[in-house]
Amino acid sequence: MTVAEGKPGIVVLGSPRSGTTLLRRLLDAHPSIACPPETYLLSAAARFLHADQFAAGLRIGVVDGLAFAGFEEAEVLGRLRSMTFGFLRDYAERAGKPRWAEKTAFDAFHLAGIRRLCEGHVKFVCIQRHGLDVVASLRDLVDKTGGYVEELHAYVRRYPEPLEAMARAWIDTATAIAELAESSEHAISLRYEDLSADPQAQMQRVFEFLDEPWDDELVGRALAGTGQVGFGDWKTYARASVDRSSVDRWKALPAPVQDKLARICNPTLERLGYERIDVDEEADDPETARRRYEFGLMFNRMKGSQE
Amino acid sequence: MAVTRESLLAFLSKRTRADLTKVDDTAALFSSGVVDSFELASLMVWLEKQTGARINPSDITVDNLDSIARILAYASSR
Repeated sequence: MTVAEGKPGIVVLGSPRSGTTLLRRLLDAHPSIACPPETYLLSAAARFLHADQFAAGLRIGVVDGLAFAGFEEAEVLGRLRSMTFGFLRDYAERAGKPRWAEKTAFDAFHLAGIRRLCEGHVKFVCIQRHGLDVVASLRDLVDKTGGYVEELHAYVRRYPEPLEAMARAWIDTATAIAELAESSEHAISLRYEDLSADPQAQMQRVFEFLDEPWDDELVGRALAGTGQVGFGDWKTYARASVDRSSVDRWKALPAPVQDKLARICNPTLERLGYERIDVDEEADDPETARRRYEFGLMFNRMKGSQE
Repeated sequence: MAVTRESLLAFLSKRTRADLTKVDDTAALFSSGVVDSFELASLMVWLEKQTGARINPSDITVDNLDSIARILAYASSR
């Protein structure tokens, strides 16, 4: 770590809808850590660093542009880091705490830029969740907001079935986060399912990694507080305890949807230590699919006649 | 091919990813929501393949399909 003053900042990373807001509340309950609601600072900084690279190998972006003006990459990154971390340091100071943490769910889509900016200067706390549960929860988010955030646009354009688009987005973000967790000694990884099953044990592990003392009241304190209002998963604020009601939600998806998503997600699920989902290997032929559709219509008629 | 209780339970358990071994044979499946209409449509396709007989639209009734016992009775009549 190169942070001269005190302990390094903390960056929470997880695919959107992986329990990052719950993790934020738990971190913020620590007497030494201030974690604001989503600031979008790091994803904005990552966008600032974005460059296009063309066939000749020339990168066109701010770092390379400023290089022609005599500013080395390290200086550009240093200035950007100073501004970005400065907001978070000031926030922590206002909260009367010595250490900041940052969590914005959609940061996971900007991991390359965030790593470039932050690696060596922060500790990363990574959280993973079962991909099909992420998809089910993302679908809820899209239903509530009525649209897709910019980070999902490329997926929705490429995959016309929205749930597949969300599954592909989960694979990319979860894989990028796993690669970070596997390669960096300054990163720790936990799973939402383990956190919701035993928040005390998981958070004890996290605070040990962060070199912060543990206190047994922390989880209760985190969930009793309403926390500062801001961007983040609204559902967590309605909960006064950590429960497992959001685990295995995917099992309520229609079986053919489960099969399709499982085929797409199984390799990544296994990589992350989740159980492989059994799939029906007998794909429907067009005649069977048509017959199933006919039955669906007949059931609707049967239900209609009962009402 | 005859539809047995075991093969029917195996099919439904796979489709619903639920443990149906403790479900009473007379318990309502469809009207109680244990099996949704999508899975019921799959069940109909499966029944046709197992019995080799086409299901008439008029046979699609709660009386014929709402429990394990009723489904087995219907399948054996095909």
